[in-house]
Amino acid sequence: MRKVVLVVLALIVASLGVASAAPGGKVTVLCSPNLAWCDAVKADFPKATGIAFEYIRLSSGEALARLRAERQNPSLDVWFGGTGDPHIVANEEGLTEFVRPRAWNDLRPEFREAVAGKYIPLYAGILGWAINDRLLKEKNLPVPTSWKDLADPRYRGLIAYPNPSTSGTGYTMVATLVQLFGEQQAFDLLKAIHKNVAQYTRSGAAPGELTGRGEVAIGITFIHDAVDQVLKGFPISYNAPRDGTGYEIGGLSLVKGTLNRANALAFIEWALTPNAQRIAAEQGQSYQIPSNSKTQVPRVAPRFESFRVIKYDFVKYGSAAVRDGLVRRWTREVETLPK
Amino acid sequence: MARVLTVPAGRVQPNLTLLGWGGVTFVGALLLPWHRPGRDLFTFVAEATGLALAPSSPVILAILMLAAAAALTGLLPRPEAVRGRAAVFAGAAGALLTIGYTVAARRPFSGAEVAAVLGFLSVLGTGLALTGVLRVDAFLAGSILWVTVFVMIFILYPLWAVLQAAVVVKGQLTLAVVIDTLTSPGFLLVNNPATPRNETAMAATVGGIAAIFVATVGAVRRRPVRRIVGWTLGAGIGAGLFAALYLGYGALRNSVLLAVIVGVCATGLGFVFALLAERSRLRTRRLLGPFSILPIITPPFVLGLAMIYLFGRRGFVTHGLLGLSTSVFFGPVGVAVAQILAFAPIAYLVLEGVVQAMDAALEEAAETLGASRWYVLRTVVWPLARPGIANAFLLVAIESLADFGNPIILGGGKGFLATEVFYAIIGRFNPNEAAVYGVVLLGMTLSIFLIQRYWLGRASYVTVTGKPSGASPRPLPAALDLTATAVFVLWAVLILALYGSVFVGSVTKLWGFDYSFTLKHLRDLSPQGWNVFWTTTKLSAYAAIPSTLLGFLIGYLVTRTEFPGRTALEFSSMLSFAVPGTVMGIGYILAFNQGALLLTGTSVIIILAFVFRNMPVGIRSGVAAIHQIDRSLEEASTMLRANSALTLWRIVIPLVRSALLSGLVFAFVRAMTAVSQVIFLITPQHNLATTQILSYIEYGSQGRGAALASLLTVFMVLVILVLYLVNRRLDIGAARELAQT
Repeated sequence: MRKVVLVVLALIVASLGVASAAPGGKVTVLCSPNLAWCDAVKADFPKATGIAFEYIRLSSGEALARLRAERQNPSLDVWFGGTGDPHIVANEEGLTEFVRPRAWNDLRPEFREAVAGKYIPLYAGILGWAINDRLLKEKNLPVPTSWKDLADPRYRGLIAYPNPSTSGTGYTMVATLVQLFGEQQAFDLLKAIHKNVAQYTRSGAAPGELTGRGEVAIGITFIHDAVDQVLKGFPISYNAPRDGTGYEIGGLSLVKGTLNRANALAFIEWALTPNAQRIAAEQGQSYQIPSNSKTQVPRVAPRFESFRVIKYDFVKYGSAAVRDGLVRRWTREVETLPK
Repeated sequence: MARVLTVPAGRVQPNLTLLGWGGVTFVGALLLPWHRPGRDLFTFVAEATGLALAPSSPVILAILMLAAAAALTGLLPRPEAVRGRAAVFAGAAGALLTIGYTVAARRPFSGAEVAAVLGFLSVLGTGLALTGVLRVDAFLAGSILWVTVFVMIFILYPLWAVLQAAVVVKGQLTLAVVIDTLTSPGFLLVNNPATPRNETAMAATVGGIAAIFVATVGAVRRRPVRRIVGWTLGAGIGAGLFAALYLGYGALRNSVLLAVIVGVCATGLGFVFALLAERSRLRTRRLLGPFSILPIITPPFVLGLAMIYLFGRRGFVTHGLLGLSTSVFFGPVGVAVAQILAFAPIAYLVLEGVVQAMDAALEEAAETLGASRWYVLRTVVWPLARPGIANAFLLVAIESLADFGNPIILGGGKGFLATEVFYAIIGRFNPNEAAVYGVVLLGMTLSIFLIQRYWLGRASYVTVTGKPSGASPRPLPAALDLTATAVFVLWAVLILALYGSVFVGSVTKLWGFDYSFTLKHLRDLSPQGWNVFWTTTKLSAYAAIPSTLLGFLIGYLVTRTEFPGRTALEFSSMLSFAVPGTVMGIGYILAFNQGALLLTGTSVIIILAFVFRNMPVGIRSGVAAIHQIDRSLEEASTMLRANSALTLWRIVIPLVRSALLSGLVFAFVRAMTAVSQVIFLITPQHNLATTQILSYIEYGSQGRGAALASLLTVFMVLVILVLYLVNRRLDIGAARELAQT
């Protein structure tokens, strides 16, 4: 017994010694896109700059919650990716600050305009549906074409969409419906769709995966996430509703009050270079439209021309009051509605 | 080995305990820093040491002088009682000054505070023992004080922070959040407007029927009127409430029903397996140990993932073999099955020890007196197992209430209390709302805890007396043996299939569509997965030892010593036992996110969360093991003038060694697989395998999730195997030692 205890103690002391190896320069990132992209950045960024890269993967709504929780003692340096609305909220609440990167003039002007100096655009993606045609055919159901089709009771248990309180994708969907139909009608529609929803997922990409696996027939997600599922080999198709759909401009923000500003800025500059943006599609299974106009757009990336995309009001729906109000209303009136 | 203590007349020996602890305190307060600039606990700031601060800070100077005084007391040529009084003064004043200084400074604490507080407490404890205020020796007195402070800081304070956050919003005392949350339809709706039936009336009917039934039975059996009235009221209200919950809607209803169902089923399975493992006459007996605990080695939600693989709409069994397209396992049913599979091992582990410790001589006696085996099972085994069964039920119910992985993966959008807490913090960062849910969870587990204590009462279950019993375990009745073994085989097949699917999922391209072999998922772990795996192992190993030892020490203190506040200490440390991990998780961020006790963002807070979360398991197993040791063994040791530390080391620990070792393994395993108490505490530097797997599953890299889960599973199996072998070697060694004496 004594020997075992001693050996264990010795091992612990030894591993403590290993653990306390001092790190050089590093940047700590709140990473909201696909995990594969975060991993690809973790592999590439240190090679390009010599700065170590640590990340935590949180969906945009969760990321905002984390920044709010750490308001007094921020432990993160940069918020990389994720839908724009929570980036704007964070900026308005003083959790992040806008910095003008050197590559600013290379970024697509329409993106720069839409975000109104609240954050740096990183990419754009269009909201749509992943559709499992096989499952629909099995159930003898038509492929839905408009938002209102989703309320059809025949789709009961066959729909998934992300929870707007954790996922930026989910919020983009709610905000899109509000912009299309007005708030009251949008919530009536959401309540009707609620009866058909099998699962509200934590992240925006998960409905695509559920659709791919055939757990649901229709997953509301960003189309580039559905593209990822198709490329992975799932037998699904994707589309956007004919009555119009919203889009996101993914964000990049510097966390206010970080003790690690120089490295954080170095990361932001790097993330906007065409070389860095290319890895999203090449290694990161992410097929958005990159913000730097010099970055080649991935061949498979969904284009704005192919869908009926609304003029999404980022400034209004990114304001803290509007966002928190809509999320709260959804939580109280839709999510908790008995079925 | 005999040690004879002789006290030379006329000369007082120096008290080395006082000298030592006083010295440690002094050196720590002098050379270690009193605060740190950031979160990192191990930064050494030369300007913040006692040496640097003392000239300008009278408080630190006083603290240093008190420490020196405490050390010198040990050399004071006066009787022990006089030294004791001096030590009590120095220790109490020093500890209070240190705490006061830290709180007033409002800067994150550092090494000096830790050394000073613990050192002064030891001095105080020694003093209290010498003066006879505490009727234990210096070691136990110091232990009592340390444990009290730990429990206050790491259990009571976070819970207090939760209670406070529920009613204090932005510095204002208000019930608004409580009312708002509890009246939300997501919390509980008795009348579901979506259904045509009237749930209230139905619940009332059920309650009425139950009441009438109980009253009739009572009247027929001619029980006293007062008892009939009591039972009738109880049955009516109980059945009515349960029916209301069953028919209602909302997170409370879902969580309560889930916890009750999972608790009953998992405890039942655990008890059956424990009986089989000890008493079966069939060959399968040897398989029981490993298979019964297998699911414990992975985080609970891994089974949820496997359930989707096998029983989902496109599951291998449901769709592939049976051709069904069902989503029945996508919802509460699936969650319940996954939780029963995940938590039955906890029940088994609690009950295995209980069944093992039953003295077969009692049963032999009953049989000799002519009782049938069934009768023995009912009148001897069952009463002996009852405390263990209650413990097991409580543990499982709490785990079920705290688990949010399965509800998130499989729940099909149904709300549960744990997921509500999770979304309130992770999704909306509304700590007040989360705290209200936390208080509800706390209330529920506390009431189960109190009911359990009431049920057990104060019965005595001493079966290990130090006298050899010599009877071998009695076999089970054949019919029971066969039926139970059939259940077990079914269980084993299911578990193997579930884990098999995770393994296959980790090396196939795309589960359900493309089963071709690939190592891609395993390779993809390289940038992030391996790091996370290593961090998890390290932190869990750090946490396992203190949580076992602390748990055992508390168990010993509350069962074997008498001191003022003992019941309070017992209750508080059990409190952490009755708190779902999710609640502790919020408590930790609320309590340790700012001020003097800033700990969030460090690896230490994760370790502490593990320690104080898993310690109660150590307490329970310690109490159970110690209860079965006859006190006279320790009394004999004390009479031979061994102090309590020596008695613990040489008498008690060897007797409970296997309980301790399995406690250690259990603590490690639980830390490796913990999610709910640490999900709010992880940082990029200290990410954990469980949350990473959950991320992989949630964010659409199921293959990678399966790969990391497989890796974790294999590693845990290896760890357990090694410890099992070590334990056996120790047992053989002990047997040899015994043979030589």
